[in-house]
Amino acid sequence: MTLFLQLLVEGLVIGSIYSLVALGYTMVYGIIELINFAHGDIFMMGTLVSLFMVTNVFHLTDVSKMSLGGMLVMLVVTCLASIVICALLGVLIERIAYRPLRNAPRLAPLISAIGVSLALEDIAKAIIGPNPVAAPYLVPLVHYSIGSVDITNTDIIVLVVALVLMVGLQWLVTSTRIGRAMRAVAQDREAAALMGVNVDRVIAITFLIGAGIAGAGGFVFLLSTNNTVFNIGFELGLFAFTAAVLGGIGNLVGAMLGGLVIGLIRALVTYIPDRDLPFGLPHGGVAWQDAVVFAILILILVFRPTGLLGQQLAEKV
Amino acid sequence: MTAEHEQAPQSTRQPLLELKKVTKHFGGLAAVQDVDLAIYPQEIVSIIGPNGAGKTTVFNLITGIYLATSGEIIFEGQPLKKASPHQVVQRGLARTFQNIRLFNNMTVLENVLVGEHLRLKASILDAVFRPPWVKQEEEEARRRAIELLSFFGQHLVDRQDEYVINLSYADRRRVEIARALASEPKLLLLDEPTAGMNEAETMEAVHYIRRLRDELHLTILLIEHKLMVTMGISDRIAVLDYGRKIAEGLPDEIRRDERVITAYLGKAATADRQTWQVALRPQPEGEANNHHE
Amino acid sequence: MAMLVPSQILPQTGETRRLLLKWVIAFLVPVLVFTLVWSGEAILNAALLAIFFPGSFSIAAIAAGLFMLLFYGIITGLTGYLVAADSGRQSLLDLWISMFFFTVVPILLIYITANLFVGLAASVVVWAFYYYGRRLVRRFRPPAPLPPLPSLKVLDAEMRATLLTRARLGSFWFALSFSLIWLLVDLLFYFTGQYGQASLVFLVWILLRSVLLPVAGWLLGSLGGLVAIRHAVPANGNGSNGDRAGAPVSTRRLRLLSATRAREEARDLVPNDLPLRSTGARNFYLLLLLALLVFYPMIDPFLFGPGTDSRLDNYGNAGYYVILALGLNIVVGFAGLLDLGYVAFFVIGAYTWAMVGSPQLTVLTGIHINPDIWPWLFWPMLIVAALIAALWGVLLGAPTLRLRGDYLAIVTLGFGEIIPIVVQNLDKYTNGTNGLTGIYSPAFFGVHWNVSTSEPYYYLILVLIAIVLLANLRLRDSRIGRAWIAMREDEIAAAASGINLTRTKLLAFAAGAFFSGIAGAYYAAKLSTVTSGNFSFSDSVIYLAMVVLGGLGSIPGVVVGALAVYAVNVLVLPQLDALGNDPSSIIYPIYTHILQVIPNFSFSNIRNLIFGIILVVLMIFRPEGLIPSTRRRHELHHTEAEGVEITSLDTPPGAPGFESEMRVE
Ligand SMILES: Nc1ncnc2c1ncn2[C@@H]1O[C@H](COP(=O)(O)OP(=O)(O)O)[C@@H](O)[C@H]1O
Ligand SMILES: [Mg+2]
Repeated sequence: MTLFLQLLVEGLVIGSIYSLVALGYTMVYGIIELINFAHGDIFMMGTLVSLFMVTNVFHLTDVSKMSLGGMLVMLVVTCLASIVICALLGVLIERIAYRPLRNAPRLAPLISAIGVSLALEDIAKAIIGPNPVAAPYLVPLVHYSIGSVDITNTDIIVLVVALVLMVGLQWLVTSTRIGRAMRAVAQDREAAALMGVNVDRVIAITFLIGAGIAGAGGFVFLLSTNNTVFNIGFELGLFAFTAAVLGGIGNLVGAMLGGLVIGLIRALVTYIPDRDLPFGLPHGGVAWQDAVVFAILILILVFRPTGLLGQQLAEKV
Repeated sequence: MTAEHEQAPQSTRQPLLELKKVTKHFGGLAAVQDVDLAIYPQEIVSIIGPNGAGKTTVFNLITGIYLATSGEIIFEGQPLKKASPHQVVQRGLARTFQNIRLFNNMTVLENVLVGEHLRLKASILDAVFRPPWVKQEEEEARRRAIELLSFFGQHLVDRQDEYVINLSYADRRRVEIARALASEPKLLLLDEPTAGMNEAETMEAVHYIRRLRDELHLTILLIEHKLMVTMGISDRIAVLDYGRKIAEGLPDEIRRDERVITAYLGKAATADRQTWQVALRPQPEGEANNHHE
Repeated sequence: MAMLVPSQILPQTGETRRLLLKWVIAFLVPVLVFTLVWSGEAILNAALLAIFFPGSFSIAAIAAGLFMLLFYGIITGLTGYLVAADSGRQSLLDLWISMFFFTVVPILLIYITANLFVGLAASVVVWAFYYYGRRLVRRFRPPAPLPPLPSLKVLDAEMRATLLTRARLGSFWFALSFSLIWLLVDLLFYFTGQYGQASLVFLVWILLRSVLLPVAGWLLGSLGGLVAIRHAVPANGNGSNGDRAGAPVSTRRLRLLSATRAREEARDLVPNDLPLRSTGARNFYLLLLLALLVFYPMIDPFLFGPGTDSRLDNYGNAGYYVILALGLNIVVGFAGLLDLGYVAFFVIGAYTWAMVGSPQLTVLTGIHINPDIWPWLFWPMLIVAALIAALWGVLLGAPTLRLRGDYLAIVTLGFGEIIPIVVQNLDKYTNGTNGLTGIYSPAFFGVHWNVSTSEPYYYLILVLIAIVLLANLRLRDSRIGRAWIAMREDEIAAAASGINLTRTKLLAFAAGAFFSGIAGAYYAAKLSTVTSGNFSFSDSVIYLAMVVLGGLGSIPGVVVGALAVYAVNVLVLPQLDALGNDPSSIIYPIYTHILQVIPNFSFSNIRNLIFGIILVVLMIFRPEGLIPSTRRRHELHHTEAEGVEITSLDTPPGAPGFESEMRVE
């Protein structure tokens, strides 16, 4: 039971990172119907920027020797840097690789996105090399015990940051002018343009926000796992994208929910020890982690063809 | 054959298609309600009614694109129960759409060939190994497709290799009818076949719709907005308003029906009212019946 | 009689003279460059040696010589055809410049880099600059626009005679000038003593060659002329007979067609403004390509020196990508169903042969394997593997039919992830991450076949590709293919035309998976080892890139797309470091002086970066793919009209709840 609860916490933490990345996938899909394969790599760039900030700008070696104020400044500046640089990167990518393809056949931007993803990974590999790189602790690790479950302060930071960003985004999309413009463009691009909405600008802002949130995701990822690798964006991006689809692509709350669900599934499956799998399947849950995620995804989609929260789009013909 | 359809609705004959209390609700909206309709072989029956009256929905229910909320649709004595669209085609019904739905990036000829899908037998293996009979079938299909196109004159035959997207609006309507004909239907459903056409094209459409019945011995169910068209070619007319059938009868009867006039005059814009009034004007005898010659 | 010959071989009119000059020079230059500078002569000499000196008998050399004869023959015939088919309205100089860039430049670049694919890649770069430059020039000096439709001449007896004469003259003069120049060069070398003691055989060969070539040219010219006549408009042709196979288009019909469509149809016609792109010329290219593919293993050593085996090995690998791309094209290109997990079927195909055709079978079942007989099982198992993959295609397809485009994509993606994991975890059967080794090569009469011989695999994949290609072409033009495309265009209209959507989609999945299974079995046999870790989502993505890059739905396009992606990824980018370190190469100075300044720079580190940039750039400049299908090219020019999307419906028409998704009018 303890282990179960422990895994639950772990699942929530990693799940909320999935959620943060999934938001970007779902926003971009909602507005231009593109699976932005490069989005995971923007997240990865977020981890790199954070790593660069703490090691090369703040020259962090041992966080326990820092003053509390210094540490807070470092955390905030690093997080903001990661958000800003990723956001700009997202806009840049949109400008270079997607905007020229706005009226192209549908799969063209998809391939372009794949190209950007490959390029970003190689750039990262050129910077940090092909192997995982360890980062110093960004905060002194503190363990809290709730009952028998162990929670660290980094876990709490991740959850809080994720929650704040999600609530903020939800507010932005539902209650602000730009949010309304985004929804208008998502509904019907031509109609929105006729109503005087600057479609190109709205799409750029969507990328800006999505990529910025992925940057924040990169920061909290580094904070909680203390390492990164050039292809982390590909792997994590795949699950984040899955989360977006699971929740109902185009739906923000769905993306958050999907991320948490996938994080939980992945964590809980590891709970199943060897020899306990049904049908006498070999190896423990760990080996089947990804397969289970996708199997559940397929099952959910079979019974709810548009994801957990996605509503069916009424197309008028 | 003239004698046959002059005495069209005969209670002793079996209707080709029969709608019994067909109802369709979209959420709270009753788009079609308790509609009864019978169409006899080789008749031309029109459904008219103001916009949003539920005419297209009736077509969608008959062709299996929507599922009826209640009621029964009977074709040749057998209910079309929950048949999916392709099964409906197989039974011998074919349709066109109000907003032409052609395969835009296929050529005229290919569009018609798609319509022949059910008539052809080649399976996926036959397609790969292409034994002589398949080659023959394919040639035969092309020959037939061109024959169908030539129903509308040499004009479309010459454009057989054109992508339909390059055709004029009227031509696209014709190709859509040719595609529907390719499945060898017994009953043809035409949804506003003259919408968007100019006067001359409309007159031509009237002409070929008549020929469809007279030469190909088809039964035709027609949705038409232009009253000059419906009045001229229909054997019978059914009027829908707010999803209900408010009248049915010969063109002359419909022209004089009070409920029909109020239904139209009550909601139609001035322009519409004028067309209606023009159409209501009694027509010279010969013109109204000239298809019997 | 004596006067007859010269009057026949002399061009009568000024126009004919101009056409002769145009095409003979256009082809003479590249053929001479190839023959004299490169290996054409070497190949022929080796063939002669092999025939006349028993000591050096070699079937390969003779076959290579045979290819050269075919090569010269086809080019000669082509020249004749072009002289006959050209409307003569395009400028002479334009053609020569284009011919230089598209033939001489690649020949020279391949020669310089001594690597077929690096040379071709370099040529592509040169071509890009050429196009750019040409566009600049045209902006300042726009060419006088030609009237939109070619002024067609109608084929009567007189026209027929003209075409035939022109073609004969074209081929004859091409062959004559070629043989004269060759003779001149040989004489020059002979009298400057470069040949030393020329043997009698050699002298006879020169003499024979010089006489026979023009004669052969005359005969081949008739062939070119016949091809041209086939594409001319017959005098009574009204084009309304509906017999499309080879039926020429009538002038009247061309005038009726829209400009875009007419341009496509005009390609088929003689006389032609752009005869190099006409259907007749294309037949010659295909013939040439076919000859090259069949004889390639024999001529490769002459072209690129030692290392033929490893090169053939690469081509053997490239081949299965072609099959994969063709299979995926059915699902994505024809039926419009986005599949991101196509690798799954490849894995299934590979493991089918890997488990049956390796010692693993003995481990699992205890069946004793006779290594002499077992490899023969490859042939039936090729079909079985494909069928099993197709079955899985249906199994995967069935639950996904209700899903719209991108939900479908993610389910296929999930399936593509699950299958390798399952294979990896069921290590009791599949040997897990260690993979299966010792998989048998196929067996065939008289072929010494094992892992280290690449030539049999080259021919095997050639045959497989030919079969798959044929199957694809036939499927596309069949009732089923039309149903796929119709479904992609408009599901509701397709259903209302009698197409069973469920079945048609499943068929697409099955057909796509079937070809993937073939590729998988071939892969297992060729590598003799399969490892579950070698298959992942990124493979599926690469297959998709091949299809989209080549041109969705276009069969020639996806073949080129597959080859291009493979070549760039495997044959070109990995070579760049070696090339950069080679002092004789063009990029050596850039590499050593500029790039090496960057710490630990090497091309191998930025392979994906370059590849990624190529993908983005190609998509931006050619979003419809390298060789788009005519349909798609067309679609792109009509984006404002009702565009067609790759999406499928959530709910099939007629199912409960359909109306809430789609309102049909
Ligand atoms: N798929 C649908 N979902 C909701 N309402 C629909 C749908 N299809 C039609 N309707 C409604 O049903 C009514 C009848 O529509 P329709 O049959 O298209 O009218 P018309 O007589 O002009 O062809 C209209 O009010 C229309 O808005
Ligand atoms: Mg309607």
